[in-house]
Amino acid sequence: MQAFIRAIEYHLPETVLATAELAAQFPEWSVEKIDRKTGIAERHIAAPDECASDLAFAAARKLFASGFDPSEIDALLLCTQSPDYFLPTTACLLQHRLGLPTRAFAMDFNQGCSGFVYGLGLAKGLIETGQAKRVLLLTAETYSKYIHPLDKSVRTIFGDAAAATLIEGRESGAEALIGPFVWGTDGSGANHLMVPAGGARCPRSSETAAEIQDDSGNCRSRNNLFMDGAAVFEFTLRAVPEAFHQLLDRAGKTVDDIDLFVFHQANKYMLDTLRIALDLPKEKFYIAMRHCGNTVSSTIPIALSHALAEGRLEPGKTVMLAGFGVGLSWGSALIRWA
Amino acid sequence: MTRGEFLLSMEELLELQPGELKGTEKLSDLEAWDSLAVVSFMGLARTKAGKTLSPKNIASSECVDDLFALVNDPVLS
Repeated sequence: MQAFIRAIEYHLPETVLATAELAAQFPEWSVEKIDRKTGIAERHIAAPDECASDLAFAAARKLFASGFDPSEIDALLLCTQSPDYFLPTTACLLQHRLGLPTRAFAMDFNQGCSGFVYGLGLAKGLIETGQAKRVLLLTAETYSKYIHPLDKSVRTIFGDAAAATLIEGRESGAEALIGPFVWGTDGSGANHLMVPAGGARCPRSSETAAEIQDDSGNCRSRNNLFMDGAAVFEFTLRAVPEAFHQLLDRAGKTVDDIDLFVFHQANKYMLDTLRIALDLPKEKFYIAMRHCGNTVSSTIPIALSHALAEGRLEPGKTVMLAGFGVGLSWGSALIRWA
Repeated sequence: MTRGEFLLSMEELLELQPGELKGTEKLSDLEAWDSLAVVSFMGLARTKAGKTLSPKNIASSECVDDLFALVNDPVLS
């Protein structure tokens, strides 16, 4: 069996947070400045009673509505860092809610911006070892619930979203349709992007709720998302180019063999810097985040969905994916569109 | 990258007029030198000088000329 991506759909929550609204709230950053640096015009924000699983449910329903049968799903993989509960596993709740068969394998995995590539690796493993024929990979986040409203460093970047990707197996062909992969992990940088309080290591308390203001005027408590943007930027500039070259070497390919580069849509400035550093042609370097921002593990499937709709992903096209971020964690893969 | 090219790039990054920076300015006195500017400077160093700088390197800089020394430091990669 050979795993391949059969279909992708995504869902954004209804509420929109426009850059103009943020510029009005943070007058030290103009609309033009936010736009130039982030490349984001709008972010979608989940309602107070709307969870990541609700967004994942909507994305999956959209995928099934396009002609796929939930009863044929053998495995459900949910990538989220915003689960409904500590336990049970949110994927189990979604198995029931989506009407997937009770024989299905279902699990959550906690990854952020590298999550989609990790999900592809897991799905390929399940399919190509004969454990599943159809895998539903859901990526869903509601980082907005972790973000302090007065922290412009993250509020300007992140948006909520979910994506549903159907990965299927077919008779083996000459060349892999998903892979090879390059993986990476560096937990020494865990504190660069984290929600410090709320887990077993540091439960929420009145102490963790105490708000502080940083040197740039951003406000947050230890219950909120913290990102050291400069440290994450340095990590990205070191890890991604190295993984990029390793992946090309592993696949025996050159830049000319790749039809499209779809990297995690962190922000426009970071993507532009990576593109220039890697000397990649602009027309092959796909960016689709203006309408939704950095949606963590959903940025790559959202971009792939847009590329597909624009006719950029015809059968036989080779695409390089690169996910990188919280963990610190990274993963790169080649996919060939089937 | 010459010092003139560097100052021009920094003026653009900090949204200043061409010729406004002399190089001796203290970073703490520049209103536009904030967290976003630090990241933008890291991008500039990578794309125009091929240097991947760490936030620690940058935090030890006091004035604009210190940043120029960083992007030209042969020890840093």
